[in-house]
Amino acid sequence: MRRIRQYKWLLFLLGGVLAVLAVPAFSYLSELTTPGPQQDRWDFSSAGFAVQWQINPAIGSNISNNGTVSVTQVIQAAFNTWITAPNVTMPITEGTQSNKTAAAFDGINLICFVCTGDFSKEASTLAVTISTSANAVGQATMHGSNSNFVGQILDADILFSPSVALSTTGGNNCGQSGGQCDLQTIATHEIGHFLGLDHSGVVAAMMFPFAPDCRQTLSWDDVAGLANIPGYTAATPVVSTGSISGTVTFAGANTPVFGAHVYAGSTTTADPYTLVFGNASTCGAAGTTIRKSSVGAMTLPNGTYTITGLPADSYIITAEPLDLPVTNDDVSGYPSAEGQSAVQTNFTTRWH
Amino acid sequence: VKLTRGPAARLIVALALATSSMLMATTVIPMSVEDLTSAASDVVEARATQSWSQWDAQHTRISTYTRFQVTRRLKGSAPLAVVVRQMGGSAGGYTQKVAGVRYWRAGEDSVLFLRPSVEESGMMAVVGLMQGNFKIVRSATGEIRATNGISGVSTWNAASKTIGTYSGTGMSLAELEKRVRQAAK
Repeated sequence: MRRIRQYKWLLFLLGGVLAVLAVPAFSYLSELTTPGPQQDRWDFSSAGFAVQWQINPAIGSNISNNGTVSVTQVIQAAFNTWITAPNVTMPITEGTQSNKTAAAFDGINLICFVCTGDFSKEASTLAVTISTSANAVGQATMHGSNSNFVGQILDADILFSPSVALSTTGGNNCGQSGGQCDLQTIATHEIGHFLGLDHSGVVAAMMFPFAPDCRQTLSWDDVAGLANIPGYTAATPVVSTGSISGTVTFAGANTPVFGAHVYAGSTTTADPYTLVFGNASTCGAAGTTIRKSSVGAMTLPNGTYTITGLPADSYIITAEPLDLPVTNDDVSGYPSAEGQSAVQTNFTTRWH
Repeated sequence: VKLTRGPAARLIVALALATSSMLMATTVIPMSVEDLTSAASDVVEARATQSWSQWDAQHTRISTYTRFQVTRRLKGSAPLAVVVRQMGGSAGGYTQKVAGVRYWRAGEDSVLFLRPSVEESGMMAVVGLMQGNFKIVRSATGEIRATNGISGVSTWNAASKTIGTYSGTGMSLAELEKRVRQAAK
């Protein structure tokens, strides 16, 4: 369903192959806050505050199978998927239950199933995550302290629509008449936003904007995006990774392409994460698994990109326009944070 | 070696999305133009003239407000100027984000599917989070098109076991107007 190819040919320059870089670059996956822009993230250092999520366990008749697997268990499992991801350290814990019924910047990271608002008035909106971040150092955190950096996440609330049929034991024809959506699939995606991740253009990623009935495990792309966030990276990685960087420019004019989705796809069957975490599970199966996928990044206004978090392997690099199924609107925070009106899509997909 | 992705690769993408009936942006299910029209009290063509963000009285939520000049009514009897409220924005040294919500800039033209906000009297809200926002753009060939940015999604019809095309796709403005007027009858 991509648009007809048009305009100029793209010249892709591969600047380095699996070389660990010291130069920081923003992963395409992160939410960004200006000025800077800076990657949105929690402060897990000793200078920050303890990060907890608090659930309001009240539910409506739209949620089924709560007696078999409770909503609290589902949310615990979804958070656990991220917290136990390889190569990251994120000390997020479950706090006391809450009786709050509205999203607010109040120091409570609320998980709510009975909250209402404009978002909940149609059955088309399943859930929203509303996060609050600091635009400057020294902003009140609601925890008796001040923000330590631009982009520090201070509060994040996940609200599930009470108008949508949800199941705690798996989805079936989500979005279809009479169907149910899998709560854990939706929760895991939303927790990615809770952590500061934006949408990904990699189809197999948890943070891809479109999901099947059931997707509860992370992909290489999700792990790479998470490990690229300052302060989240584990001191000792479970799987060693490297980076690929380069520049995307238009042929002839040699002008940079902003917002090209560049991704590295493995050409082998090697899977170091499988050796560590076991084979990928089916929906609802216990255990932490990482699905092998491409790993993506976006080019900066000067056309450069850095794909981080790549396990040692052989890769093909592809540059593609975000012209469907993921579009500029799915990553609208990225161009605005980079001072651009939109990502460029006037080129054709190329790979090396 | 440089290659251009061909039809086969596109088919793979389409098939990969065949079971993807759920859009998580934040997390919404695609709505057709007809569904959007039915859910909207007003459908208008309008130009954004002013936008601002502010905290609520309790200083717990930031909302972004955009004033629109209505140029054409396709459904309902909206006044010539409407204000649309969206979740999130930046104010007072903080930013609140809702993934998938896009804010307008002054001068942007859109077809808006609106209904009264339940959170703030006198304000309008976009139907389907951002699905009811069709940006009007002029293509390189001069055609005026409208797109809500989530088009091109293949849907899986479980009953018939068939892959369909999500109809709320980018289209000519004339076609969108026609479908809205037809659905509003």
